[in-house]
Amino acid sequence: MAMAVDNAFNGVAVSNYSTSTNNSDDDFHDLFDSIMSIDALPYSPQVVEVDGGTNCNSPSNPAEDREEEEEEFKSLRLYHLLMAVADAMFGDNKSRELAQVILIRLNELVSTSHGTNLERLTAYYAQAFQDLLDCAAVSGGVPNKPHHLHRDDHSPTDVLAAFQLLQDMSPYVKFGHFTANQAILEAVADDRRVHIVDYNIMEGIQWASLMQAFVSRKDSPPAPHLRITVISRGPSSRRWIGTVQETGRRLVAFAASIGQPFSFHQCKLDSDESFRPSGLKLVRGEALVVNCVLHLPHFSNSSPESIASFLAGAKTLNPRLVTLVEEEIEHGPTIDGDYKVQFLDSLERYSAIYDSLEAGIPMKNRARGLVEKVFLGPRISATLRRIGQPQRAATAAEENCLWGERLEKMGLKAAAISFANHCQARLLVDLFNDGYRVEELGSNKLVLGWKSKRLLSVSIWASSSSSSSSSSSDSE
Amino acid sequence: MFHPNKKASTMNSHERSGMCVQGDSGLVLTTDPKPRLRWTVELHERFVDAVTQLGGPDKATPKTIMRVMGVKGLTLYHLKSHLQKFRLGKQPHKEFNDHSIKDGMRASGLEFHRNTASSSNIINRTMNDGNSHMIVAIRMQMEVQRRLHEQLEVQRHLQLRIEAQGKYMQNILEKACQTLAGENMAVSGGYKAMGGIPNNNNQQGGGGGGIGDMAGGIKDFGSPLGFPSFQDLNLYGGDQLDLDGFMPHNDSLLCLGKKKPRPPTPTTNYGGSSGKGALDWSDDLRLQDIGMAPPSSCVVEQEDDFKGMDGTLVERDQLEEMYDAKSVVADEGIGGDHKNNNNNNNNNNNNNNASLKLQRPSPRRAALAVGRANHPLTTAPLTTNSPFGVDLHYDGRCRPPTYQ
Repeated sequence: MAMAVDNAFNGVAVSNYSTSTNNSDDDFHDLFDSIMSIDALPYSPQVVEVDGGTNCNSPSNPAEDREEEEEEFKSLRLYHLLMAVADAMFGDNKSRELAQVILIRLNELVSTSHGTNLERLTAYYAQAFQDLLDCAAVSGGVPNKPHHLHRDDHSPTDVLAAFQLLQDMSPYVKFGHFTANQAILEAVADDRRVHIVDYNIMEGIQWASLMQAFVSRKDSPPAPHLRITVISRGPSSRRWIGTVQETGRRLVAFAASIGQPFSFHQCKLDSDESFRPSGLKLVRGEALVVNCVLHLPHFSNSSPESIASFLAGAKTLNPRLVTLVEEEIEHGPTIDGDYKVQFLDSLERYSAIYDSLEAGIPMKNRARGLVEKVFLGPRISATLRRIGQPQRAATAAEENCLWGERLEKMGLKAAAISFANHCQARLLVDLFNDGYRVEELGSNKLVLGWKSKRLLSVSIWASSSSSSSSSSSDSE
Repeated sequence: MFHPNKKASTMNSHERSGMCVQGDSGLVLTTDPKPRLRWTVELHERFVDAVTQLGGPDKATPKTIMRVMGVKGLTLYHLKSHLQKFRLGKQPHKEFNDHSIKDGMRASGLEFHRNTASSSNIINRTMNDGNSHMIVAIRMQMEVQRRLHEQLEVQRHLQLRIEAQGKYMQNILEKACQTLAGENMAVSGGYKAMGGIPNNNNQQGGGGGGIGDMAGGIKDFGSPLGFPSFQDLNLYGGDQLDLDGFMPHNDSLLCLGKKKPRPPTPTTNYGGSSGKGALDWSDDLRLQDIGMAPPSSCVVEQEDDFKGMDGTLVERDQLEEMYDAKSVVADEGIGGDHKNNNNNNNNNNNNNNASLKLQRPSPRRAALAVGRANHPLTTAPLTTNSPFGVDLHYDGRCRPPTYQ
C-alpha cells in the first residue's frame, strides 16, 4: 500500500513541496489550497494495493467501484497530509503554523480508534507530530521525552495485556528471542559456565526458553551454569511490569523449577547512561555472551548514546558472541537532513506492522487498539523524534546506520546463522501467518518481514580474537 | 554413451590396480584398447574447482572448463560427459534445500523419497565411473538425511521453547493479578469485581473489576477463529508434533479474561499471598511431598465462584467428577503454618488434579479442558505441580520438565 501511493505521491506532489524559497508565500497558499480542498487532486489515483486485503479485489458493481475509489482518494489524501506535515516539521521550510493547521485538519479526518489501518496509523502519526509541536513550543527545542503517549503512562494491566496480545498476534517477540537464543546455544554448546550480559531485559521472557533449551540438551554436558547480568538504568526509567529485581526473582524461580543452575546480577549504568565494563563481575572460564535487544515492538527506545557506549564496552570484553536485535530501517543520506527517506520508510514500516497485526486478529476490535495504543503509538513518536532531531554533522553518518553496521565497524566479526536457526525461524513464523517472511541477509543476519517490507533483524557477531567453541550444529 | 563404457569400467573397477597407467599429464588412463579416462579424486576436485570458478555447473561449459583446468590430454569429450553427470548429481541436492525450508515436514518427506530414488540412480550410474562419483552421491544422500533429521529436531525444540515461554508468561500474569488483587482489596475493601461481573454468555466467563478493562479488551477478542478450547500448554507431550493446531495464545487469552480478584472469603488469602515471591515455590514443594490437598474444600470454593457464572455450571460436574475420582485424600490440616497458603496451593492442586486427569485419554481431555478454561478459580490455570508446570521433587532433586 505504501509503495504504490508513495510512487503516486512522488510523481506529482513532491515537486510542489520542494520548490524554491523565492515565492514561498505563493507556494504556501497554493499548497494550502491544494491540500485543503477535497476534490482538487491533480491526478487520478492509481490503484492502491493495500496489504492485508482490505480492498484488493476489484468488485464488479459500480457502487462498490465508487466506494473503492473513494477509499483510495481518502488514503491518498491522508498521505498528502502526512507528508505535508512532515515537510512542514522537518523539511527545509519549517513552518510550525502550517503544521499545526494541517494537524487540525487531520484530526478531523481520522481517529486512533476507528477506521482502516491507514486511518488509525495516520491518527497516531498526527498525535506524534502534535507532541513534537507542543514540546517544541514549550521548551523551545526538540525534547527527549514527550508528554503523553509515553509508555510508562499506561497502566501495568494495559501494558501486560498488550504484551500478551502482541506475542500472540505476531511473531516479532518470539522471532527475536528464539533466533538470538539459538545462536547463543550453538555458540556455547560445550561450555560449563555461561555469562550473559543483557542490555534490555524487560521482563526476562527471552531467557525462559533459553534455560529450557539448556536443560533439555541431549548431549553430554548437563545444563551449564547460567549467569545473567542485567544492565539496569537508574530509578528514572520505570520498568513496565515491575523492577529489575522482580524480573530477577522470577528468573531465579523459573530456573529453579526446571533445574537450571542460575544466578542473577545487576550492573547499573552511570547517571549519563554510559556503560562501564568494569562494573561487571567476570569469572574465569565462562563464555561471555552479550545480548542486545533494541527494537522489539514493546520496547521503548533507549538513547543512542547509551546503546553506543554499551556496545563499545561490550566489545572490549571480547565476548564469545554478541546478539543484536534491531529494527531494519532504511537509512538514506542524512547529512543534508533529508528526512523523506526515513519518514517514508517509517510510514511503510508501521503500515506493514499494522497490517501484520490485522492478519493476526482479523476482527477490528479493542485488542489491536490496545497494542497500538500502548506500544506502537509511543514507538511512532520516538521514530519521529529521531527523524526530526537536528543532525549533528560529525556523528550523523554513524547515527543513522544500523547498529549492526556499527558493530562491524568496531571490528566484530560476523558469525554465521546456522541452518537450524533459519529453519526454526521459518517454522515459527509459519505458525502465524503466510504474510511473514524470513530471509537471510548477509551471512549473519535473519530478517523478519511482512510481505515485502523488512521489519526486524537479528544479527550475530563474534569477537575476532575470542576462541570459537566447536558447536554441535552446523553453520551454513 | 554409457553402454560401450559399461563393460570396460566394470572390468576396470575390479582390476583396478593392474590396469591403469599414469600418463605424462597426470591423467590416469586405462590400458584397454579404448583408453578411458579415470576420474580420480584429485582430478575430480580440480574439475569441481574449475566449475565453481566458472560460476557453477550450469554456467560452466566443457570448453571453459578445459581451459581453466589446464590438464593436458583432457578432451572435450571427457569433460562433456563428466559435466553432465555432475550436473545431474547436483540437482537433487539443490531442490531439497529449497523445498525443505519452505514446506517443512511434508515436502521434505516426499523429497526424501525422491532424492533417495534419484540418488540411487546416480549411484547406479556412477558405479560405472569410479569412486569419485559414488562418494559424491553418498555424501549427498547423507546430507539429505541429515537435513531432514535436523528439521525434525528443530521442530520439536521449537515447540518446547514456545511452551517454556508460555509458562513464564503465565507466571507474570499470575503475579500481576495477585498484585492487583491485593491492591484492589486494600483500596476498595470490598469486592468490586464481583459486583462488576457482567452477565456473560460468551464462553470466557466474566471479566473482573480492577482488571476489567483488560478483560474487557480481551473479551471481545474471544476466540475469533473458533479455536478449540486449548488444552493445557503442559499437556503437549513429546509425542504431539501437531504444530498446526498449536495456538498457545488462545489459552493465555482465556486466562486473561478470567483473571479477577477472588472474593475475600475467609478461605482465601489472596492479598496475603501476593508478594510471597520465593516462598511460593517452597510451599509447592511441601505440597507435593505431602500429597494433594483435600478436594472437598476446593469444591466449596468453587461453588462460590460458580454461582454468578453463566455457562460454567456445566463444567462443575466434570470438575467434581475429577475430584471424586482422586483417590488420595490428604489430611485437612496440612500444617498450621501453611494454613494461609492452603488455598493458594489448593488452587495449584486443583490444577494438579485437573491436569493429571487431563493427561488421560483425549475425549475426556477436551471436555475437561473446556471446564478448566472456564474455571474461574484458575488464576494459575496452566500449572501442574508447580507454577511452572514441572515435576519437582521435594527432596530437592529437580528434574527437567517431563510432560506426563
